[in-house]
Amino acid sequence: MNPWRRHSVADRPLTCREVGKLLQYYLDGHTDEDATAKVAEHLEDCRRCGLEAAIYREIKAALARRAPVLPETTLARLRRFGDQLATDGPPEDPSGDGHGDPSRRG
Amino acid sequence: MGPSPDQRARSDHEAFRRYVLPELDVLLRVALSRTRNPADAEDLVQDTLLRAYRAIGRFDGAHPRAWLLTIMRNAQANRFRRRRPALLRDPDAGQRLQDERETQLSAESIVVGAAFDATVADAVVRLPTRFRHIVELVDIDGLSYQEAADVLGVPIGTVMSRLHRARRRIRTRLIAAGLAPRSHNR
Repeated sequence: MNPWRRHSVADRPLTCREVGKLLQYYLDGHTDEDATAKVAEHLEDCRRCGLEAAIYREIKAALARRAPVLPETTLARLRRFGDQLATDGPPEDPSGDGHGDPSRRG
Repeated sequence: MGPSPDQRARSDHEAFRRYVLPELDVLLRVALSRTRNPADAEDLVQDTLLRAYRAIGRFDGAHPRAWLLTIMRNAQANRFRRRRPALLRDPDAGQRLQDERETQLSAESIVVGAAFDATVADAVVRLPTRFRHIVELVDIDGLSYQEAADVLGVPIGTVMSRLHRARRRIRTRLIAAGLAPRSHNR
């Protein structure tokens, strides 16, 4: 089920209020094709809604910039661990807690 | 006659390589968000990989990321029963904001830059935990609504409504800081 499909729209131009309700779904790519086209059309014509969309785009961009850089050494250890699983299966681990590879803290 | 144990092991290893290994980056990113600690995140991902390895024979190949994120949620529920305090707050955010305040703003402009980013960061820290987790998973870690719902074990509708409310709160803080114009819709 796609819950945002409920946000399909009637066959007429959208009002500002309707665009306001759809805007975040639209910016996240979760409106259907028809709604996407109508919101885009409204945003081109309506300066205030366009500005509102711009604010949310900037918020999303600012949040995306906060993504931490993945620690390379950790990632490399996990890749080795995953490769080992895919090749030989789990390491011997008498304690049974799944931490049989002492090298991973390296 | 079914496959021999050897054949089954080989196809499990192949499936693990095909479905699990490409998701390592995402798993580590989400684990870092969830644990706030590189060592705990590494343990959590390793635990998730082991659980996925044991379960791969029963996995049908559909939506591997969602499957892995659900495994990670279960692994985390077992490993980190007691929540750790989240020390996300950026101590420099306020100062940076102050430093940038001299900028003259027109009523309808969005002022993007260090002050904008610092205000967004500060607003995220101030969000209620249930909102903040969703913002971190979707807008910072890049998960889809459904994937975030899988990680948190909540319905997708909850993810959407919390995410949208969280962003509205962030926008409200930007407006209060004079970095975004007031809304006309509501």
